[in-house]
Amino acid sequence: MPLAALTILLPLASFAILAVFWPIRHTGRPAAWLSTLTAVASFVIALLVLRDVAPMGAPPELWTMPWLVHGGRVIAEVGFRVDAVSASMLVVVTCVAACVQVYSLGYMSHEPKPALGRYYAWHSLFIVAMAGLVLAPNLLQLVAGWELVGLCSYLLIGFYWAKPSAGKAAVKAVWVTRFADIGLMCGLVLLYVETGGFAWEGFSWANPGASELVAALLFLGVMGKSAQVPLHVWLPDAMEGPTPVSALLHAATMVAAGVFLVVRCWPLFEGAETLLVAMSWIGAITALVAAITASVQTDIKKVLAYSTCSQLGYMVAGLGSGEMLGGYFHLTTHAFFKALLFLGAGSVIHAVHSNEMGEMGGLRKKIPLTAALFAIGTFALAGFPGLSGFFSKDLLLEEVAHGGQWGPLAILLFVAGLTPFYMMRVYCLVFLGEPSEKSNHAHESPLVMLAPMALLAIPAAVLGFGAGSFGELLGHEYHFAVTPVGAAATVAGLLGLGLGYAKFGMGQLASLELPGLAAFVRSGPIDNAWRLCWERGLLPVARNVGWFDRYVVDGLVNFSGWITLEAGDRIRRLQTGSAHDYLYAAALGAVLIAVAGVVGGVLA
Amino acid sequence: MIDWLLFAVLSFFALGGAARVVTSENLVHVVLYLAVTLIATAGVYAQMDAGFLAAIQILLYTGGVITLMLFAVLLARRNGGSVPAEGHTSPLRSLLVAGLVAGLSGYTILRGGAPNRAPEALSTAELGRVLLDPLALPFEALSVLLLAAMIGAIVLARRKDA
Amino acid sequence: MTGPGLDAYLFLAAAMFAIGLFGVLSRRNLLAVIVSVELMANAANINLVAFSRFGVHPWGQALALFALALTVAEVVVGLALVILVSRTHGSLLAGSLRDLKE
Repeated sequence: MPLAALTILLPLASFAILAVFWPIRHTGRPAAWLSTLTAVASFVIALLVLRDVAPMGAPPELWTMPWLVHGGRVIAEVGFRVDAVSASMLVVVTCVAACVQVYSLGYMSHEPKPALGRYYAWHSLFIVAMAGLVLAPNLLQLVAGWELVGLCSYLLIGFYWAKPSAGKAAVKAVWVTRFADIGLMCGLVLLYVETGGFAWEGFSWANPGASELVAALLFLGVMGKSAQVPLHVWLPDAMEGPTPVSALLHAATMVAAGVFLVVRCWPLFEGAETLLVAMSWIGAITALVAAITASVQTDIKKVLAYSTCSQLGYMVAGLGSGEMLGGYFHLTTHAFFKALLFLGAGSVIHAVHSNEMGEMGGLRKKIPLTAALFAIGTFALAGFPGLSGFFSKDLLLEEVAHGGQWGPLAILLFVAGLTPFYMMRVYCLVFLGEPSEKSNHAHESPLVMLAPMALLAIPAAVLGFGAGSFGELLGHEYHFAVTPVGAAATVAGLLGLGLGYAKFGMGQLASLELPGLAAFVRSGPIDNAWRLCWERGLLPVARNVGWFDRYVVDGLVNFSGWITLEAGDRIRRLQTGSAHDYLYAAALGAVLIAVAGVVGGVLA
Repeated sequence: MIDWLLFAVLSFFALGGAARVVTSENLVHVVLYLAVTLIATAGVYAQMDAGFLAAIQILLYTGGVITLMLFAVLLARRNGGSVPAEGHTSPLRSLLVAGLVAGLSGYTILRGGAPNRAPEALSTAELGRVLLDPLALPFEALSVLLLAAMIGAIVLARRKDA
Repeated sequence: MTGPGLDAYLFLAAAMFAIGLFGVLSRRNLLAVIVSVELMANAANINLVAFSRFGVHPWGQALALFALALTVAEVVVGLALVILVSRTHGSLLAGSLRDLKE
């Protein structure tokens, strides 16, 4: 068994202990420490795995055992596949997870003990699921992990289950992603039918047309998980969960699972030309719509959620260019700086006890460390030259330009300017300007929360310089060079930053409104469109189905119930309650069986 | 011929005892007639070269169970003296069903065409080997069952006020 | 003629079984019912030993031994129940027990 297996087994042990032995779970902090220790250990192991992994192209390290054996034929296998793609993703996942778990020790410290234990049990389960997804040797195990992270997402969004909105948000997340997973499931079945297995490489298609169809169906699932327009509506609502959960699941890792699926199954997607063009457009439109929406939100977590959507759109558009390196590298850098931003937002919320940016302001002096770390995240996301986001965005845009998709490229360049704008807006409203009433009582977060943020800030700042070796690992040549596209993106980014500072630099509440569009965007047009679809399209159908159910199906059920009652009334007379009568019945039954046997024997 | 004679005698005691078991009006007699049947059955076992089983039948069954039953009879006795078996309910109907079963069994045996030759019997040593090697697990499970029965009996029969 | 064959023992067992069944069905007294059940179990054991003796399967005797132990367990629990019933109902009349109804 490869070393990487420990990244699953350790959290699994933690989860099993916390799940089964409820007294341990109810101890709260010890349970939290157990889970955190396994997460940190997983991170260390993942680093070791990454150190030794061979570059892409070399045969992967495989360890599998048969699963679903039917009639001597192995239908699928479970196990671990360690190669450049899975090892790098594993490090991202375990690093963010470890940071978030340490951070939660501080952030969740006011929770009651059983709730804390529950929280950490699910966090452990999440690492198990995510590592299982990442290390999957075939699509079937990947989808199993995919479903499990979906379950963790549901559980953690609904963590504050006493709050009705949290429960609704959790259900919404499940419904939307599940809806998209219909496509994924169909793709999986079609893949099996066409190739007789669940592998993503190493076979030839009997029917070449099916290849693209399978990829397209899988991409439907990706759209749900990675929150692509119009299936992104669940992600902003998912912010009902605790902020560290948003950082881990709904910013850095789980929502990136969709993008990861495309990277992982790249041999399936590579040749699907029509699909790639569609992916570019969908990604670009997602990036644009989400960025515009982010610009008018007043809730700090909602801004970051829409920003995540927008960046996921970026990644998908990048993959649509026909090269996977840019999209995947952006996934990696984004995981770090967006997790950092979320943890920073959590720290702010922890300080002022509010999500509304209108109630913040002037926090730079009150919580300087958080402000500094948040600034690193902001500038990394904005693509400020030298920080990680700059390099990954540059690489991604370069690939899109190289793929010759000018329409998406133009949109992405515009978003490259819009992103710094709204991030600058957040930074100004929260940290600059005059302190609000709530800001005056703010206190800096404890070290246990700041340390993981600082750890995340390192890759968020300097990971960009590792782009070359990252490319090398994945078997792509990459050298940074100044190009027209990159220059345009940088100029747009700086312009956005400047504009944002000019407009919101004073941190005044009055400047919160963006004229014109704001009211419309804030009303949630896409959510409304879904609601309309629901009311006009689905509900009438459901009503008809309901009628059929009520009068035909229920009628049958009621009829059978009536028959049973009647028959029971008659048969009840047989039940005398006297043991002897029952004995007679038993003896006669035995006689009947014997007679049947004898008669059968005679006939035979 | 002597075998047939022995068989006839044993059968007489076994079936005669059985008949008295189901007809006797005194419960103490019922139990004692059961002892007769069981001992006769042990003889039948011995005739079939199953000496070990015959011994077990007498020791454990006749010795243990009969004693136990006598205790139960005397414990359940209300007001001293003999314990009546309180007769039969609808004996004709019962006779009919039992006769049906007997007839069916007899018919099946006649049609069976069973082997009438007598090969070597299973020796006690072999029986022990069978019990402790291929049947070791059921054997152990049985001991657990006996324990459960013992505990169950104690729990059931214990006086609540005691 | 060498002695009684398999048929003879099976007939003996069948007869004993039928007598036992008659007792189970007709007896009013619960203790008598249990004793009759013993007769039936005994008949079954005779069958097992006979089959073993006449070469159907050598494990028949082992099975009979198991059945013996099972019967003992059944008797123990049954007698405990009888004593319990005699204590709670004041009688051992099976006919008077209608508690199985509802």
